[in-house]
Amino acid sequence: MRYGMAIDLKKCVGCNACTVACRMENGTPPGILLCQVEKYEVGTYPAARMDFLPRACMHCAEPPCLEVCPTGATYQREDGLVLVDPRKCMGCRYCVLACPYEARHPLRRIENYYGPGTVTPWEEKKHKTLTKGTVQKCTFCAHRLGDGRQPACVEVCPANARCFGDLDDPESDVSRVVARQGGSVLKAELGTCPSVYYLNS
Amino acid sequence: MAKAKTRKHDQADPMPPGADYQWPAADPAQRGRTRTLFGICGQCMQGDCATLIHMQDGVVTRVEGNPAASPNYGSLCPRGASQLMNLYNPYRVKTPLVRTNPEKGLDVDPGWKEVSWDEAMALVIEKLNQVRTKDPRGLLVMEGFGNRDSLLRDHFAHAFGTPNVVGSHAPLCSIHYASNLVHAGCPEQVAEMDYCEYLLTFGRSLGPNFATTGAIRRFTKAMDRGMKLVVIDPRCSVEASKGEWIPIRPGSDYACLLAMAGTMLNEGLPFDEWFMKHRTNAPYLINPAGDYHRDPLTGKPMMWDAAAGCARAFDAEFADIALTGAYTVDGVACRTGFDLIREEFRQYTPEWAEGICTVPAATIRRIAGEFVKHAKIGSTIQIDGFTFPFRPASVNTHRGITNHRGGTYAELTAKLMNMLVGNIEVPGGCVGDSMRGPLLEPDDDGVLRPQFRAQAFPFKFPPDTIDGNEFYPHKNATPHLAVQAMLDPARYHLDYSIEVWLNLGANAIRKNAQPEKYVEAMRNVPFVVSVAYHMDEPTIMADVVLPEHANMERDIVSVLVPPHQTTGGELYGADTVRVRQAVPALFNTRHCDDILTDIAEGTGVLYGPGGVYDRLNRSMNDLVLTDGFYLGEGTLDVDRRHTREEIQDQLLKTWPRGDGKGLAEINQEGFFRQPRSRKEFFTYYFSPGDGVRHPFYFERLKKTGDSLRAQLREVGIAYPGIADEETVWEQYRPIPHWIENSEIQAPPEYDLWVVNWKSPYHPHDSGNPEGNPWLAELYAQDPFDFAVFMNAATAAKKGLKDGDRVTVESRYGRTSGALRVTELLHPDALGIPGNYGLGTLQSNPLIRQGTFYNSLLSIDDNTLDAISAGQEISPRVRVYRQEGAR
Repeated sequence: MRYGMAIDLKKCVGCNACTVACRMENGTPPGILLCQVEKYEVGTYPAARMDFLPRACMHCAEPPCLEVCPTGATYQREDGLVLVDPRKCMGCRYCVLACPYEARHPLRRIENYYGPGTVTPWEEKKHKTLTKGTVQKCTFCAHRLGDGRQPACVEVCPANARCFGDLDDPESDVSRVVARQGGSVLKAELGTCPSVYYLNS
Repeated sequence: MAKAKTRKHDQADPMPPGADYQWPAADPAQRGRTRTLFGICGQCMQGDCATLIHMQDGVVTRVEGNPAASPNYGSLCPRGASQLMNLYNPYRVKTPLVRTNPEKGLDVDPGWKEVSWDEAMALVIEKLNQVRTKDPRGLLVMEGFGNRDSLLRDHFAHAFGTPNVVGSHAPLCSIHYASNLVHAGCPEQVAEMDYCEYLLTFGRSLGPNFATTGAIRRFTKAMDRGMKLVVIDPRCSVEASKGEWIPIRPGSDYACLLAMAGTMLNEGLPFDEWFMKHRTNAPYLINPAGDYHRDPLTGKPMMWDAAAGCARAFDAEFADIALTGAYTVDGVACRTGFDLIREEFRQYTPEWAEGICTVPAATIRRIAGEFVKHAKIGSTIQIDGFTFPFRPASVNTHRGITNHRGGTYAELTAKLMNMLVGNIEVPGGCVGDSMRGPLLEPDDDGVLRPQFRAQAFPFKFPPDTIDGNEFYPHKNATPHLAVQAMLDPARYHLDYSIEVWLNLGANAIRKNAQPEKYVEAMRNVPFVVSVAYHMDEPTIMADVVLPEHANMERDIVSVLVPPHQTTGGELYGADTVRVRQAVPALFNTRHCDDILTDIAEGTGVLYGPGGVYDRLNRSMNDLVLTDGFYLGEGTLDVDRRHTREEIQDQLLKTWPRGDGKGLAEINQEGFFRQPRSRKEFFTYYFSPGDGVRHPFYFERLKKTGDSLRAQLREVGIAYPGIADEETVWEQYRPIPHWIENSEIQAPPEYDLWVVNWKSPYHPHDSGNPEGNPWLAELYAQDPFDFAVFMNAATAAKKGLKDGDRVTVESRYGRTSGALRVTELLHPDALGIPGNYGLGTLQSNPLIRQGTFYNSLLSIDDNTLDAISAGQEISPRVRVYRQEGAR
């Protein structure tokens, strides 16, 4: 069992619904974007176009962040998820430097979206789930997977650009789509073996 | 891959300073309680996505798409996913307010006094009763995309006795006339994405550009199956990035369309001859005055029977209808409409157009040829046992081409292209996004009976309406005409004045051109009442503020209306109605319809014949007609008060496409979905064969113009606000012809044309997206948003660099912002996306940030399209660096 994701760049329209759904799901404060969409301009006028690259944690099979963690807070589950145990994380940020995908975010402070003096009821509730001084990262919405749900970014996507499932199961949708379309991974040369594949890149 | 474009937060601070609001503690009775409500998203004007609203301990923790319901099937756009911050917004108006400072302005503190609802309503009702006694037309109800949920607003206004219900949103999107004329459906025409194989678009989004869920899915599916997409646009949009981008000089699309149609008509390309002869008025004989030549006996228009060598009334038996030729009938020299159009278009060659629009002549010819080839003229397709003509090619236009002087002609020219391939209301072609049913009915002349905006408003003098129905009989909503008339009533021959401005969901100041004119007009109105969500521009100008619920607190039932961007997919084969269950109100606010019910009761117009309930009983939705709600006479007892729930229950139970279930049942599942045959999706099905003729020769347009001119002469007045009347009448000719918009001859120092596009974060003023800090964080960082965009080579020529602070000046106004150089724009264009900027002393500071595109526009009558009254959206501009600023 190894959870993974395929993102079809031909379908992605760069709308950032995933970015916002991730925020709503995980309660992250301003400045912390566990999921984001990079936007590129390619070519020169008139042969130019926009390109989009949605990014989050790659849940690498060989995660560089894992080996540098001095406290054992970063761990890898048998299903492939790379997670942080906030009770063990001391916020040293070695993992932030080690991650080649800029997927780890130190939570130095927890700010509020409408300014320091106003904590909306939503923030009041969600910020309790965050631990200041730790590192935040995409969890593939691990807390939803047990309920048979998919990560929030997958379900919200209006373009159906994302496909999620078990990469070890050749019959899963994600395995089939990668096998059929030959997905690529980011920075393959580093040997991190990401679990996020990009189609039509 | 190229380096990602990123940007510093040089222009916006995503964190509004100074918000220091202590939220009341959650209701302790809700502690430990988990519940899920059915919602309908209100974060764009369509309001079409079904949601699930999850609450814990009385707090909304999550909003997601309802996976079972169309059109979004569990997905949301970034605004929809941000909507809980629209609920939890400290800048909301939280209690009724009354002004103490008589001085009014966007930056003047009104000195608000908090009052009870009873006090506020008593004040409003007293003023309304005064104006009703004097002249009920003195009430102006300004409505807009900020609140699309009121059932009672228009009925209240009409029961009160005012015709003045004015939309604040429309003059920058005047897209209705041509579709209402040629398709007899409202609002417009769109591409049918299940079958379309070749889509040519001008000046529009297919969904991705502003992120509407259903349209994005239809778009990605169509691209996945290999639909060829050609986007003719000054900007390489998301859509253009996925298809073929053909850059065009802003505001010149009309020339390109004329040349494409000219190529199709005069360069030997095949056309759908059967459709032209049997399904349009192109063969009708036209007399030298430009009118139908009519049978002296029956008064009917005539066609020439080539086999018999004589003319007959259009509904006679014909052996061979002549599409072309000159014939003398009853001593009158006639020609077919088709011939006259072809002759007019002979001058519009691709070479001629290239000089205006910059699209190479060879490209114009190639695209015209591809369009015809992909239309597969003569092919058919079976859907649910019915054989349709199959025309999988469509050309679709939108506000980018209609919002110029001559814009209506541009859209009509696109219609000519579609009609030439016979793709109207058939699979793969150009399909209305109105009700699906028997809309294609012939009039006495055998030509499609037009609907909505294509039906001319009657002429009255002195004018009855504040917003120019009399002078622009085919207009869309026109707050700009209302404001001109309010500022100068004599010029527009008004014999009454606006005494009360009731604002509901509208923002005519920020959503329009020349905001200072609207501020001045509002200042002149003796009493302004704003049904308000936050302290926006019209609200800070108000005398009384009536705070209303946020979208999520407003319960409604709603029919799923076909969307604007495209059609097809899940929209086939079902009619859907949904419920929005209200999140408990956070503040001392009320549902807009409860406010209106109280006002109607207090002014004596709620009950009895002609009252609000009577009108509600008899009303039908303009867009979906009998696919929508229709209570029917006598359903609501017009002599007693009804709760919202009672009304919603009755709307559901009497829904013409429903099966009698009501509110109790819909609260179980969130929606009702009634299946219907997929063939019924195409209105062709209801009037197949030669049952009706679409207008190819626009005789009705000429008739409106002739009639208007005669009526102005009869009452002895000139066309108000227009320097040279011929500039109006030339737009009422029956054949599209080249019209120069107001910008083409601008002084050369205005060397660029500004263009605007909707952004995924901010397409309409629905749900206050520009004040939502989740979205602000994104738009402030987005390399394709929230800046002033210029082609890189143009910037280099001007010595301007990325990040320079620049001033942008049109002949009508100015704005400023940070420059961003790009390869994604035509060299003659300057891009300013979204509708950022302006705001008030008391608004969320986020709203004051960004470059205010609308300030560059004009409401001068001479710059408008004479038919739709649409405003010019690409004025010529000049750009220069602000010295000392970076």
